This record gives sequence, structure tokens and C-alpha cells, in this order.
Amino acid sequence: MPTHVETLANGLKVILRPIPEAKALSTWVTYRIGSRNEVPGMTGSTHWVEHMLFKGGGKLRKGDVDRLVSRLGGKFNAFTDTDFTAYFTTLPASEMGTALLIESERMRNAAFDPREVEAERTVVISEREGAENQPEFAVEEELWGIAFHVHPYHWMPIGYKQDLAALGRDPLYRHYLRYYAPNNAHLVLVGGFDPAVAMGRIREAFGILRPEPALDPMRLVEPEQRGERRSELVRPGSVDLLSVGWHVPPFRHEDTPALIVLATVLGGWRGFSPLGAGAWPSRSNRLYRALVETKLATDVSVRLETKMDPGLLVAGATVAPKASLDRVEAVLHAEVERLTRSPPTRAEIDRAKGQVRARYRYEQDGVTFQGVLLSVMEALDGWDAADAMLAKIERVRAAQVRDVARTYLLETQRSVVRFHAEVPRG
Amino acid sequence: MTLPDRTVLDNGAVLVSQAVPSNPFIAFRGSLPAGTAQEAPDEFGVAEFTARLLLSGTKRASAARLADRLEGIGAALEFLNAEETLGFHGRCTRDTVAETMRILVECFATPAFPPKEVERVRASILNDLRQEADDTHDRANLELARILFPKDHPYGRNPKASPARVRTIRRRDVVTFHEGHVGPDGLILAVAGDVDPAVIEEAIARPLGRLRAEGASSGDIPPPSVYRPRTGRIPMPHKSQADIAVGGPAVARRHDDYYALHVANLLFGRIGLYGRLGQRIRDDQGLAYYAFSSLDALTSGGSWTVSAGVNPANLEKAVRGIRDELDRLRTDPFRPEEIRDGKDNQIGGLVVSLERNGEVASELHRIEYFGLGIDFLERYADVVEDLAEDRVRQVAQKYFDPSAASIVVAGPVGKTRVTL
Repeated sequence: MPTHVETLANGLKVILRPIPEAKALSTWVTYRIGSRNEVPGMTGSTHWVEHMLFKGGGKLRKGDVDRLVSRLGGKFNAFTDTDFTAYFTTLPASEMGTALLIESERMRNAAFDPREVEAERTVVISEREGAENQPEFAVEEELWGIAFHVHPYHWMPIGYKQDLAALGRDPLYRHYLRYYAPNNAHLVLVGGFDPAVAMGRIREAFGILRPEPALDPMRLVEPEQRGERRSELVRPGSVDLLSVGWHVPPFRHEDTPALIVLATVLGGWRGFSPLGAGAWPSRSNRLYRALVETKLATDVSVRLETKMDPGLLVAGATVAPKASLDRVEAVLHAEVERLTRSPPTRAEIDRAKGQVRARYRYEQDGVTFQGVLLSVMEALDGWDAADAMLAKIERVRAAQVRDVARTYLLETQRSVVRFHAEVPRG
Repeated sequence: MTLPDRTVLDNGAVLVSQAVPSNPFIAFRGSLPAGTAQEAPDEFGVAEFTARLLLSGTKRASAARLADRLEGIGAALEFLNAEETLGFHGRCTRDTVAETMRILVECFATPAFPPKEVERVRASILNDLRQEADDTHDRANLELARILFPKDHPYGRNPKASPARVRTIRRRDVVTFHEGHVGPDGLILAVAGDVDPAVIEEAIARPLGRLRAEGASSGDIPPPSVYRPRTGRIPMPHKSQADIAVGGPAVARRHDDYYALHVANLLFGRIGLYGRLGQRIRDDQGLAYYAFSSLDALTSGGSWTVSAGVNPANLEKAVRGIRDELDRLRTDPFRPEEIRDGKDNQIGGLVVSLERNGEVASELHRIEYFGLGIDFLERYADVVEDLAEDRVRQVAQKYFDPSAASIVVAGPVGKTRVTL
């Protein structure tokens, strides 16, 4: 698809994908700031800053973002990841000016009114407490916590409750000023617009914004894991859960295409972007066959969490009523070991590649999903990285899948979290 | 947007479709009357089993073979039980739509319901019920639905039934329910995306037309019984957060008050970051991450609900905030500019809310299911524009009535007694 890419003098990278027949347009601004850039004591600050950027500043008063977008029937939201923070607005195609006004004011002029910061403290704590209600969140937090001892992937983007209770307005504002700058962001526009007109309006809205000094590269490197790590969570809950994570290289690494095929053979493919994949369970994968069809588990999942820095491949299972965690874990490890012993069959490889290809097409359903895909790819590698990755996946051979299994899915490299559900009191 | 195409097949199934040139794949959504509402009293829970078993093997193909066929072509197909229907949805491409439709029809026409799969589904439903029982949001909202739609009405009972009931459902119950209800009668299939008349005719209508009626039947859904407001309290001391569910009866989708109530609900607890409710509970008071309202309007009735998740220390304050906002609908009714914003949101939103194939297919399905007319999307802006401001205020006061509302709280509620 035709895509126009240009970088403004202040460092803002602009990626335009015009779709002449689209009646809507989606604007995405993504900042290279996530929980990965936080330090102990300030966990959750990036996510809290994200919340503050809907509260006006500059030409916008509190409530204006909401009002401007809602009147036009638009949708807007944001999410904070470990590696980046992304904001989007999708509007009728004629309303580009509104989206650009919101994003340009958000980039440098957010208000951070102390009363609003304080009101938002309980909101972000409430978001965390809502997540804490789910045993799955406890398992996920524990898994990354034991798998990463040095790197900030150790904590979740939501942050620790004690940090959220103690953080003040000024450190949050400094965090904003340091990271929200045109040279630390990219702007993606997808939909019904003329690229020349759009570039003119983008220069007008963003060209005057001042850049910040370049950021230091990430210095924290997770040391190699030497030996399995385990955690047994015994807490009130309804079902036993298992989650296993293995260290994998960053998204840009040459082994990622084979790891994508491996993850798909093992547990199905969820797509490249966090929004576009949808909840479409896979039933043709090895873990489903070994655990769900045999009634040991009621649900299995595999996520390849490839990030800017080395991440995790995570396999999980919900234990069936009469099954045991020990048995489910043993079968899961046996399936992983089988992948290290011999390559997947030709039919499995073809099916996995077909799934990734099809998912990629579905992930481009509409201007909002195309926007998130381009934004996430640009944050991790380059806006067209998914196309390039797809071409590499087509060339993956079965033996490569076995080889990456042998390299990464090692017992000494894995972390295991087991959630033992206790019958709640009360 | 051009008008959708609508075809009634010889077997009675209805096919509606819309080409979306900018999104080069196909999304589909459909239903037929074989949901919770079609269960007889001795069949509670069987519709859920049936929906979950339709991908578990046919007379020609095992569950594994079906999964391999679907995922081998990169297609997706799911069945789900709902209050009124057995729903299904999926996605595929122009090249794979014929095979996807063949699989869909095969699942409907010749399911095998293998005994081993029946047991797998039983375990899966039991696990889901256990997880629901430990989820504050599910507990509060299931209990509220039970209160709003008493006497085992299909809108009020848990579609999965109770664990005790799930343990007793037999394979032949599922076979009987399938034979009695699953067929082309009442079947609607809505398709959007990379389609044209040739694809519709050859790849979709032809396989769907082979589905035969074999005594499929559906009756009217009874109106809900008389409802009495109540208060529910579900202590779950091991949780961090409490969930609040407040609600009352509303209207059926075809009721005259529906559109005015839809706009009123939008302004009360949906627009932007959740309308008036979100403004007070989240933005001004910082009490909750989410506080919003919903309007569910079905064939024979409906309900409005407010949901909020709060720290237990803020429970009373949040409930008071919800009550204050309900009262404010009378003391400070929607201002003209609020109603203007709501109307503009709905009119402008026609473009944004239909940007994806899946959204277009869902809307086409809804239009056909409720009989809104094939030109509904053309007329919708006028329907909204023509709503008198006073009508919006009046229906807000009539239905969002705190004296007729029920409240349920679930979570670490301690000894707190909460009333609306």
C-alpha cells in the first residue's frame, strides 16, 4: 500500500497511508517511552502520565478532548506498553484538523494541574486493583518479576501500588517533559486524505514544537538466566493456572521469524499488534491437542512477547476441574521438548504460515487497526517491519523451528509460575 | 454507503451483504433461534452445550480435522450461545469463503456431538462457572440480571445454568435440542468486506441454501415478569476491588421510546469517557477506573445498567455519586447543548463505528434481526435528528428511575450495607 514517510526538522517522523475510499481517518502518535524507561520507586509513572494527557492544557481545557471527539462521533484512547505509549483518535475523514490539534497540544502543552494529578491517583490505583481481582494478573506479574531481575521488564506498566500511592506531581511532570517531544515520537495517519494537504497541516501543527536532547540508550541488560526459576502462588481463586516463560531475543533479531512459526505451531498466532488480533482461539496447535482435547486443561495460550529488548515466549494453561497442575506442567514441558527433538511436520509449518498470513490481513481491518499496526511496528523496528517479517516467515524451514526451540526453550532459561487456587473464605 | 443486498434463500435463510472495498477480506456474523430463550424448563443449559459443541466434530470430520481445515486456510469461525439466539461469526478471504461456508453448513447440518467432546465441554463450562463465581464483575451483574428478569426468564438466568445442572446434561439432550431448533428457519447471515454478487451467489448462498429444515421451530420470547427492586450484597473478602451493578427495566428494541432512551443513555453514561457518570465518578471524584451505563434492548424487553469498580473504602461514596447522577436527570435535566452533542455523536459516528468489516457485518445482522429495514443506516441520521429534546429528557426520567432500580455489590464489602 502506498505510504509516504517524512521526518520534520524537529525530529518528528510522519508516516502517511492514504486510503482514498476510506471515509474515516485514524491518527496515532506513539512515544518511545514505556515502563522500560522507568526506575524503581517511579513504576507506573508512564501509564499515569498517559492518563493526564486527556485533561487538557495549552489551547485545550479539561474535557475538550472528550467533547471535540465525541461531537464528531469519533473514538479515542491510549495504551501504555513496556516499550512505548500510543494515543489514537479516529474521526470522519473531514476532521483531520481536530485530531492534529489534540495531538500537537498533547505533545508539549499538557496542564498537569496538581488537583487533577491527585484525582487521577485513585483512578490508576483503581485500575490496578481491578486487575488484582483477576488471578491471571497475579500470575503475569509474578512471571515477569522472576524472569527479569535487572531489566525493567521486571514490573508491569501499571506499576506497583506503593509507588502509585507515593508519586508526586512534579516527578510525573518532569517525566512528561523529558519524553514527550517530537524527536521521541512518530505520527501515523491512515485513511481518507490527500497526503500533500496532510503534510502541510502536520508541519503547521507540529513543526514549531521544540525537540529535547536525544535519549541515552538503554543500558540495563538482563544477565543470562542460569537455571530454572519457579514460583508457587497459593491464593484464593477458582481454578489452578500455569504460566511458563522462556527468554527470547528482541523483535529485530534474525531468529524472530522462526520463533513466530514455533509459537504458532505450539499455541496459535495472535498477530503483530495488540488490538487487531481479536479473541479467535486456535484449536489446531500442539498444546490444544495435548492439553485441552485430553481434558487436562480448559484453555491454553502461547504469546510471543518480542519487544525492543529481549522478551519472553509465554505458554499458559487453565487447569481442568479434575486435572492436576503437576500433570499439566509435565505435558506442557513434554510438548516443548518434542519441538526441540524433531522439526514440525510440513502440514504444521504450512498451516502456521497460513495463519500468520491471514491474521496479518485481518489486522488491517479499517483505519484504526492499520494505524496501530504501523505504529507498533515503527516503535519496534520500522513501519514496514510486518511486511518484511512476513516475507521472512514464508522462508522459514521446519529445521529452523527445531533449532530455535533448541536455542531458546531450555529448562535453564525458563521461569514457571503455578497458581494454586484456594477456596475463598467468606 | 450504498444499500446492503438482501436475499431470502429457498430454504428460508436470509442473507444480507455489503461490499467494503477498502478492507480486502470478509467478515460475517449470523444467528438462528436456538439460544437460551428456546430452552424448555427441563433444557436449561443445553443451548450453551450445543453452541460449544458445534465445532467438536461432524459426521464427516473430527474436531481436530475441522480445526485443521479452518486454520489451514487461515479462516476463523466461532459459535456462541446468547439470550435469544445461537450466534456465529467468523472471517475469511474471497479465496477461502466457499470452504468456510461449507464448514459452517456442515457444522449446523451434521454435528456428531462425540461423547468425549461432550465431557470436554462439560469440564470447560464447569471451569467457566467457577471463574465467574470468583469474579466480582460477573457476580454483581449476573445477580442484577436475575433480579431484573425473575422467574427464570431467559434474559435473567445464567445461560450456562448451575454447576449441578451442568453435571446432569446428557448427550441426547443436546441432540434433541439441535434437532428441534437448528435449521435454516430464522437463520440470518450478514457478510461484509471483499464481496460481490458472484461471490455471494456461488460461495455463500449456494452452500447455505443446502441447509435443510428438519422440524426446526422457535416460539415467541415471553415478556419479562413483574419486577420488584431489590438490593444484593455478595461478600468476596479476598478481592481488592468491589463491583457495583445498578439497573432497572428498559424497553424492547422496537419500542417507541428506544431511540430517545438510547440518546439518554449515551449522555448519562457512555459518551466520551462515560458521559455524566464518568465525569463525576472517574474524572471529578477519581473514585473508579470505570463507571459507565449500558442499555440492552432485545426482542421482548430490555434493561439499563450502571457498572463501576471501586476500592471498598469508596463504595458508599461511589453509590452516592451514582444516585446523585440519577437524581440529577430530574433536577438538572440534559441541557440543549448536551443533547446536541449526543445527536452529533450518533450522526458522525456512523462513519467511524462502521470502519471495520466486522462492525459492518454486526450492524447488518442487527438491522435484519430486529427488522429495522434495509435502508436503516440511510434513515438513522433523520431518526436521531427528529428526536425532540424534551422526549430525551422525559425518557431519561421515566426509565433511569432510582426508586425502581436495583443494586448489587460484590467484593470486599465487609459489613457495609449499601442502598441506592
